[in-house]
Amino acid sequence: MNISSEISGGNTFKTDIAKRYTAFLSQYPEIFSDLIKGSDFDFAIYDTLDAYDDKNPIDSFNVLRNGHGIDIIPGKAYDPDLELALSTKAVEKLIQTNTKEEYAQLLGSFYNEPDEDDGWIDFILYKRTQTIIDMGYGKFAKTAGILEDEDAVYSM
Amino acid sequence: MSKVKELQIKNKYTGELIDTIPADTPETLREKIKKVAQNEHLIKKMDFFERAQLLAKVASKLRFNKNKLKELIVAEGGLPIKYSEWELSIVTNGFKFCDWYYPMVEEKPLTSIEGEQLASIRYIPQGIAACISPRNTPISLPLYQLGANYLVGNGAIVKPSTACPLTMLKAYSLMEDMNLPGLDALDIVIAPGEWAVDEFLKSRIIKTIMTITSSHTAKDIIVNYAKILRKTADKSMGVTMYTQPFKNFFFECAGNDAGIVMPDVNLEQVAKWNCMASYTNSGQQCFSMKRIIVHKDIYDEYVELLIKEMDNLKYGDPTDPDVDIGPLGSRRILMMMEVMVEDAKKYDVKIFTGAEKVDTGEDYGLFYKPTLIEIKPELCEDLVKAPFLWREEAFGPVRSITKANDLQDAIRLANASNYGMRAVVYTSNLENIEIFKNELNAANIYVNARPMLVDITVSLGGIKDSAYPPGCKYYPQELVYGKYIYDGTPVNLDKVKP
Repeated sequence: MNISSEISGGNTFKTDIAKRYTAFLSQYPEIFSDLIKGSDFDFAIYDTLDAYDDKNPIDSFNVLRNGHGIDIIPGKAYDPDLELALSTKAVEKLIQTNTKEEYAQLLGSFYNEPDEDDGWIDFILYKRTQTIIDMGYGKFAKTAGILEDEDAVYSM
Repeated sequence: MSKVKELQIKNKYTGELIDTIPADTPETLREKIKKVAQNEHLIKKMDFFERAQLLAKVASKLRFNKNKLKELIVAEGGLPIKYSEWELSIVTNGFKFCDWYYPMVEEKPLTSIEGEQLASIRYIPQGIAACISPRNTPISLPLYQLGANYLVGNGAIVKPSTACPLTMLKAYSLMEDMNLPGLDALDIVIAPGEWAVDEFLKSRIIKTIMTITSSHTAKDIIVNYAKILRKTADKSMGVTMYTQPFKNFFFECAGNDAGIVMPDVNLEQVAKWNCMASYTNSGQQCFSMKRIIVHKDIYDEYVELLIKEMDNLKYGDPTDPDVDIGPLGSRRILMMMEVMVEDAKKYDVKIFTGAEKVDTGEDYGLFYKPTLIEIKPELCEDLVKAPFLWREEAFGPVRSITKANDLQDAIRLANASNYGMRAVVYTSNLENIEIFKNELNAANIYVNARPMLVDITVSLGGIKDSAYPPGCKYYPQELVYGKYIYDGTPVNLDKVKP
């Protein structure tokens, strides 16, 4: 599925890291192709775990799935479906990846092996799990590397 | 264990002391029950979704501390490190998405024949639960018991196994670190079942007894409660009246799951999954595939493939990421495996592989090699006379395999059991799949499923001696009761006004 990406709001990101991360993400809009039109979620970047506990990100933006692709918008969404929280260290490493697959693998490792020094991600649901599933976030999480492939979860 | 004040927890593989922790006495246990009761309102004042959000935060906290938790699971539980990830992910996924259970507990409006909606069923927390969990799951089941009660609004006391309480204590301390609202209505008891369960039974504060144990221990609990009831019998009015009220008993017990393999499948793939389903955690799982039933047309080929898979299993140091089989949880399990194999030898059985132990002579580092024993189908007919290995749960790495003539024979063999937790089927015949779904006697049927699923939809429960009350079940659903409410106000308010 060919979907487009657009970064709205010009240079209104508070931080350089958010600018670089959004530019990076805009290369791979197909990661978001499983989300239904109208889904909208926040990316929030935190410099420490304590800042995450205090809900005090250094920057945030939201990704809106529109009819033809995605729109990346500075700041938090008005009514986000969920928040994907990322440490600055994780973002720095993620934007160094060269392929969508490499990105997904690294994102997954930050979820499955979170580490304050090496990087971590987490997510907070703002809507009911069933709603989130119905909006396609489960499939998105798999494509994005957050949920591992079933066979990889546990194998002897 | 007597009423000691300290408990030493040792590494299941090396025997090294991991930690010494304070143990509860009957007095401190009663104090904890009282404290939970006094604080239960802290949980009740939050709504379901607030509690669900908080459990999702607990899931994150656990995930951020997973290495420490996994270390404890491996050390005190003897679970291989690769399996510890699975053990932990059951509960972190369950907590992260726990609002998924809401439809099971949300108020249900009822429509009358006339089309009026004046009645509804509202689901109310049952009250404080005492939860007893087994030694094979240091965190997933005890924490799930605790979380399910919290989610629906019950206070709870959780008693992890005294063989491996540290992981659960660590999880509780992480919840303390995050100042989890309502945590004072939840507590952990470190005490042996031999007297702690009696304390729970005697307590009028405890409304639900929730245990994951053997079917026979669960029946013992009922017998003990009957004795307690008897002591409260009052005959002063000429009839027997018991002053002690009913309790809710919720037992998750043994499984002796059948796994059926039909000829129309990829045998190599199924053998791989079968090996995992039968021998993960050294077979110390209630839902492990214990009785393997294979169609006669592929029997020999399948046995060969399964043994090949079993030969690949590595046992030993559970901290080794390549190890599949860790030490057994106790000497009792080792003894039970020996008894089952010796009993099987008295029949006309064939031991394909295994049937050897590694015994350090101590209470640690105990192994029983993955074992596969052929039992002739005619020996499985009469359960009273069948080998012990067929009729009772082998809670260790010893499995039976038998031959079925056809689909109906496979179903008959699968149903020849006193247990009914799960049944597993591998076939590609779509018509037969429906027959299996309808005719297999178990509370949970898995068709062509990958083993060790971590999926929020996975249910617990069983029928026959596998669970009480019977049926597939989800903890949150079992911890509430339905209250029927008929509210005639919209149609009768004028009539009742003075």
